[in-house]
Amino acid sequence: MTRRALGCLLVLLLLLPFAASAHKESDAYLTLSTDPARPTVLHGQFDIALRDLAFVLDIDANQDAAVTWGEVKASRAAIERYALDGIVIKGDGLTCETHPTGQKIDEHNDGAYDVILFDAVCDKEIPSRLTLVYTLFEDVDPYHRGIVTIHAGDRVAGAVLGPKTPTATLDLREPDRWNQFKSFVVDGVWHIWTGPDHLLFILSLLLPAVLYRSASTAARASPQLQVLALASQTGWIPVPKLSRAMIELIKVVSGFTVSHSVTLTLSVLGYINLPSRLVESGIALSIIVAAANNLWPIVTRRAWVVAFAFGFIHGLGFASALAGLSLPPVAMATSLGGFSLGVELGQESIVLPFLPMAFLLRKTRFYQVGVVRWGSWAIIAIATLWLVQRAFDISIPYTALLTPA
Amino acid sequence: MSPAAYAGEHSKPYIPASDATVLEHLPSTRDPRVRRFDALRQQTATRPHDLRRSVALANAYLDYGRDTGDARYLGRAQAVIAPWLGKRPPPVDALLVQATILQSRHQFAESRRVLQAILARDRDNTQAWLTLSAVALVQGDMDEAQRDCARLITNSDALVAAGCIAARSTVTGHAKDALRILDLLLPQAPNEAPAIKAWVHGLMADAAKALGQHARAEREFKAALQLTPGDNFLVADYADFLLDRKRPREALELTRPFAQSDTSFLRQVLAEAALGLPEAKADTATMASRFRDLEQRGDSRLYAREEARFALELQHDPNRALQLAQADWSYQRAPEDARILLQAALAAGQPAAARGVIDFLGRTYLEDPDIRALAAKAAAQLERGPSGQAAAQ
Repeated sequence: MTRRALGCLLVLLLLLPFAASAHKESDAYLTLSTDPARPTVLHGQFDIALRDLAFVLDIDANQDAAVTWGEVKASRAAIERYALDGIVIKGDGLTCETHPTGQKIDEHNDGAYDVILFDAVCDKEIPSRLTLVYTLFEDVDPYHRGIVTIHAGDRVAGAVLGPKTPTATLDLREPDRWNQFKSFVVDGVWHIWTGPDHLLFILSLLLPAVLYRSASTAARASPQLQVLALASQTGWIPVPKLSRAMIELIKVVSGFTVSHSVTLTLSVLGYINLPSRLVESGIALSIIVAAANNLWPIVTRRAWVVAFAFGFIHGLGFASALAGLSLPPVAMATSLGGFSLGVELGQESIVLPFLPMAFLLRKTRFYQVGVVRWGSWAIIAIATLWLVQRAFDISIPYTALLTPA
Repeated sequence: MSPAAYAGEHSKPYIPASDATVLEHLPSTRDPRVRRFDALRQQTATRPHDLRRSVALANAYLDYGRDTGDARYLGRAQAVIAPWLGKRPPPVDALLVQATILQSRHQFAESRRVLQAILARDRDNTQAWLTLSAVALVQGDMDEAQRDCARLITNSDALVAAGCIAARSTVTGHAKDALRILDLLLPQAPNEAPAIKAWVHGLMADAAKALGQHARAEREFKAALQLTPGDNFLVADYADFLLDRKRPREALELTRPFAQSDTSFLRQVLAEAALGLPEAKADTATMASRFRDLEQRGDSRLYAREEARFALELQHDPNRALQLAQADWSYQRAPEDARILLQAALAAGQPAAARGVIDFLGRTYLEDPDIRALAAKAAAQLERGPSGQAAAQ
């Protein structure tokens, strides 16, 4: 071995006879607290050593080896970006967005720390189970540790995170199944109300629920002349009794519910995973088919079959609202059940008021021609627009209002 | 910043009074060591596939961390070599850095595994043998330490091989031989790097201490510190020596500039307490909170020796000290580890807890008079104890 190499060797060797680390390595302290007044928000405090920040960011602007408060303030945006990029907070698998709210300084045993105050805003109420993924300084110091404390009411949970164990799942509170269920019911309702595609599909199937095709035997049940006269033009004959229409509606809605529940569940549990472009295009296509059936009838007596068949693809669409949801089995069942019920309630809230109105208007030209015929044409037009947008991933000008969220 | 200023507890977050308030001091670029790793860092950033530079940067971090007692540099060094460790097979030079880091973090078993993997590929790797010997010695594996040193005799220069052997001789009843051979070889190597000479002086101080030659030991400590001023581990060892000799005022002066380092700061607080200074109370609280920080990040067992001493001498909690000392003894068996376990066992009135140490010292013939006296005392208590009959043999 050459002399020079030996010199290099011995510099290292000198670590040996006095083996003892002198000072702790790098830590950062992350504290999250629930807010009783705002159930979807966590307040965060993230303490990171200025010495560690200086290693990755130019916070010592004048490079005099002394970091001043002025310099730290000037670097605030860069520090916040770096720090908040180093953590992901998830509630039941759904990522909560972080927003910085303030900057302070704290003295720890090994020097001054920048304090990043922030809020983590979750989509839903802070759930029983919170997941934290911690990757701060992963690439520059594998011995860095994130010391995490979570305050939820009078409960405190903690974890020490680093590259080998970057993820902690912390139980914030006893799971409140009823609240969880309710929040998912509300989610399901809103999903229907804010997503016109599912509604348009159901409406397309229900527009003729108060009518028969005139070729059917039902013509004999309505022997009034003016009805027959209109029927000769439109091909529709009004149903005699509301109960008939009601039964038709129940069949359509139930068929739809059964099939979309199946695919919703399978998809959220991860058994089915289709590209969303395919699913969304399929939904648009199902609307076109349902509306076209009102103009050129193929399925006349069993609209529920159409509802059932296309319900499978709509179920996959509903699942996108719950993408990433991960819960223990019981909570998963509660959430999925709540969401499905919410979807149901959302549908009913539209179709129940629709039915009596349609029944009252069923004999009019306005309904048979204006609503059923031209309504179906309008639905076809909108759904075709969606199909083109979704299948070819292009946006068409002036259609934003028609585009489901 | 005085550690006493924050009295051991984290303060509340605040907004500094003025933009000009200085919050933190960073490693100065006026320091040539800092300039060196800054330059290497820039070079490795632009040329990430240059192993030589990566290893040089990692070593620059380790050297700086060792000099200053800032353990952050261990992780920074690890990050530099991490991409190389992912290669199959990882380059030997990167593995050597890895072994050193593991050893510095008291992950001795892991360090030995890495070193053995290096030697399986490169039988003549001097540094690996040297490191392996040192780790074996820290763990009290005297036979292994000797075998490893023997590999150095043909492969490295005489002073290095002698240093390796002397380190073992000092703790196995041959401190006189250790001192003699180093005395003989050191003057023959006037051009040796200061760091190597400092290492040898440190070994000689240990040997002299074991022989009870206090004046000689002190001369060697001073010579070593002159060559590597402020060396974190030398400062701690010399401070211990001064505290043992009932010279706390000098220990305080020695350690005060290095309060950032936990090892130095512990000696500072011990000295303050010995002198009955008023700041001892606040600094004891600060030290306690530093240990809490270590425990919080899951590293407490790495510093069990220091913490046991803290619990015994400053918190006067012999039971906790004994627990920590036993944990420490399970992976470290240097003379200081034997000493704290004996002290804690005696203070806790549980001499039986020291039986393993007494046996170990009987096998290895450590000469250190202070430690032998402690072991004899514990052994005597054991004999007088309820099992006194059995101990008569």
